[in-house]
Amino acid sequence: MLTSTATENLPLTETFKPADQAELADVVRRAHASRTPIYPLGGGTSLGFGLVPKSPGWGLSLARLNRIVDYPARDMTITVEAGITMSALAEVLASEGQRLPIDAPHALQATLGGVVATNTSGPRRYGCGTVRDYVIGISAVDGRGMPFKGGGRVVKNVAGYDFCKLLTGSLGTLAVITQVTLKLKPVAEAEAFVACDVPSWDRAEALLAALVNSQTTPAAIELLGGAAWADDAALGPAAPRSIARLAVGLEGTRPEVDWMVEQLTHEWQALDVTKPHVIAVKEQVDGLWQRLTEFPASAFPTSASPLVLKASVLPSKVGEFCRRVLEIDPGSSIQSHAGNGIVLVRLAEFTPADSRRVLISGLQPAAAACGGTAIVLSCANGAEMTRQSIWGGAGADTAMMRSVKQQFDPLDLLNPGRFVYASL
Amino acid sequence: MIATRLPQLIDGLRAVVGTDGVLSAHSDLVVYECDGFVIEKNCPDVAVFPRTTAHVQAIVRLCNQYDVPFLPRGAGTSLAGGCLPVGGGVMIVLTRMKEIIEINHRDRYAVVQPGVVNVWLTNALKGSGYHYAPDPSSQGACTIGGNVATNSGGPHTLKYGVTVNHVLGVEAVMADGSLITFGGPTEDPKGLDLTGVIVGSEGTLGIVTKVWVRLTRDPQGWRTLLGIFESVGDATNAISAIVAAGIIPAALEMMDQGILVAVEQAFHFGFPLDAQAILLIEVDGLEAGLDLQRDRIIELCMQNKAREVRQARDAKERLLLWKCRKQAFGAVGRLSPSYCTQDGVVPRTKLPHILDRISSIGSKYGVRIVNVAHAGDGNIHPILLFDERDKEQTARVLLASGEILDECIACGGSVTGEHGIGVEKIEFMHKLFTADDLEAMRRLRTAFNPDGRLSPAKMLPTAGACGLEQKHPARRAAM
Repeated sequence: MLTSTATENLPLTETFKPADQAELADVVRRAHASRTPIYPLGGGTSLGFGLVPKSPGWGLSLARLNRIVDYPARDMTITVEAGITMSALAEVLASEGQRLPIDAPHALQATLGGVVATNTSGPRRYGCGTVRDYVIGISAVDGRGMPFKGGGRVVKNVAGYDFCKLLTGSLGTLAVITQVTLKLKPVAEAEAFVACDVPSWDRAEALLAALVNSQTTPAAIELLGGAAWADDAALGPAAPRSIARLAVGLEGTRPEVDWMVEQLTHEWQALDVTKPHVIAVKEQVDGLWQRLTEFPASAFPTSASPLVLKASVLPSKVGEFCRRVLEIDPGSSIQSHAGNGIVLVRLAEFTPADSRRVLISGLQPAAAACGGTAIVLSCANGAEMTRQSIWGGAGADTAMMRSVKQQFDPLDLLNPGRFVYASL
Repeated sequence: MIATRLPQLIDGLRAVVGTDGVLSAHSDLVVYECDGFVIEKNCPDVAVFPRTTAHVQAIVRLCNQYDVPFLPRGAGTSLAGGCLPVGGGVMIVLTRMKEIIEINHRDRYAVVQPGVVNVWLTNALKGSGYHYAPDPSSQGACTIGGNVATNSGGPHTLKYGVTVNHVLGVEAVMADGSLITFGGPTEDPKGLDLTGVIVGSEGTLGIVTKVWVRLTRDPQGWRTLLGIFESVGDATNAISAIVAAGIIPAALEMMDQGILVAVEQAFHFGFPLDAQAILLIEVDGLEAGLDLQRDRIIELCMQNKAREVRQARDAKERLLLWKCRKQAFGAVGRLSPSYCTQDGVVPRTKLPHILDRISSIGSKYGVRIVNVAHAGDGNIHPILLFDERDKEQTARVLLASGEILDECIACGGSVTGEHGIGVEKIEFMHKLFTADDLEAMRRLRTAFNPDGRLSPAKMLPTAGACGLEQKHPARRAAM
């Protein structure tokens, strides 16, 4: 649970809890006048993400900006302040049979603003997309203390530049997000998983490739490896000699889910999968979604894993990447949103110094060989990490990102030193 | 003046792309004087046709060297003057960069050059089980580069989203001639989502030379319904009821009686001409769920006083229905010599209200208005009928248009759902956004386009004019 230790890796001299956007903008203006760094705070669940900041500054808590501004449920949109927790938001939406299908760990603490700023996603991204597909309006305060907004409250709108996209995943480095308008989806009537054990990484790729042509429309395609998944409550104990489990999440109306369960079972039998395992009991299904959502953060707040990595590779190279990871650290646990080419790795071993080395000379090259990149999601000893080890260094597009940063936060006061761009 | 530097610039451009890649005679350039927004016209000084990314870079560098404004153009089907060469300069026409570079079925993406026509990709993917989802009505002509610039929609955006939801990355020539790749075939590139910022930036942040698009699984089946209503109010209430019931159709389109008459004359589908409104409703997905959704939709339509709900009998009838909808604008020619289409958006529950207001605004100004709408998205396309040779009538049409868009804003909506701001709707930006919002947008543009030579005078009002009345009744309207 959230404890006061959560903000300890931030060099905070003071924390402000403004009551509304106007008060918040005032704090930022004062910070700007005194050149004081600002660290925006949501639920404190992702403070280990990015480089550890070194410049002392003010915490800026969004805790009191947690109101529902407007919920026209029949339009299937909602406007809320950024400090609302994901669980509080989910509860309000559920009362109308609606949802924001973004799987965020620690939903009791994690705030919507934090989820947007960190571009958090989970297993359902295969079927439902990511944060950028749901934010249709955004309000924020830039590094000078100037409030601005983009988008609007309608589901289709191309007026002006898309600040919703610009701020999603910006880690609070361009502006402090204060309010968000979302488009929503109806809750799924029924859910189930079909799962199987996978004997080799080549076999994993064969099954994943077959899913591209499946008649079913999965909400999630999860390839799971390592100790964390060896004896899952819903998946059961792994078969002898299996190296990974493949779990396909299905959502829809009851007839759709029933049909997909049967269809996928047939498709897998035709591919000689010996025992497709159907998980349809609600408690088991809910539990598995929960574990699939919490995996990258389950070490929070005291990290049991020295390092959690997120790689983004070509979907066809997921098996290959997993194989390389287990060669580097046979004790690691892996969760891949395999349909999207996202691979999350909780490493088991390594001292901080070894982590740096293994990232730069092992894991980053492995991701590159699989057509992608790797970044660190959280790290037990972040203070000793470098930009190269956390973010994989600068890309050709980083210079343009820096120009944008310069325009929105010219004094480099918002979350300084944490994100991909080196200090301005 | 540009004129004095022009001969040298043209020589330079010819050296880059060859003589057959440069047009500079006035008679050749009139083709490029406007896009689908024909009220305001201006010829570029030169039109240049690059065939490679390196050509685009060299052209941009020459424009900077000679201090001449430049802008990209695809097929010119845009409707808000996005590729109007305000102040002249060099028009970079991307239609010769028309290669589908890669289709990767396993990793579900395709890579295309900007001049690829939207429907070419659709055709190339036929039979693969996958498609490229954005399908603007102009898809037979419009280019994917243009779709990226305007973040195009289309009838199927209700379920599948607009262009930006399907673009994984872009390669773009920046305003200074440098080349940067944003994103690519893998998801969640690190750092800022500048791909998402460039899509929909109407050519003001960079010139896109390559696009990575996500491919979408073909639905297993469809049910296409035609709901027939005695009043527009009943039809819009039915839309609201369908959305509120948690059903997300692939498409939910409305046509009112005025447009229906023209469409029927053009395509002879058999629409009942006395009906006040029809809804074209399509659900797609797994066969296992479709009949249930269809039945529920029929029930909701009947509860909202539909006269009847018909189902397309077969694929042929479905395609004919869609042809009627997608080519509805072409049929408007049967109703009047000129027309002006608006692109407002309102919250879906405000559809009955806005259509009622459009009707009153039409009466107030003595302008006949017929309606097509991507109704499920709340995106309305009222079509104002007039004769542009009659200046007094034209002026009334412009006033009525402005009042409709003001009403959309008052409903909490927007003045453009998919056509863009371009030059046409610049005057509305200060009504949608505060001075600070616009200042933030200007800063974003400055980061990409510091000298302002790329696509000048688009999308954002100039700082000094913000909030001023900028109506030029004889010039500003979408036709």
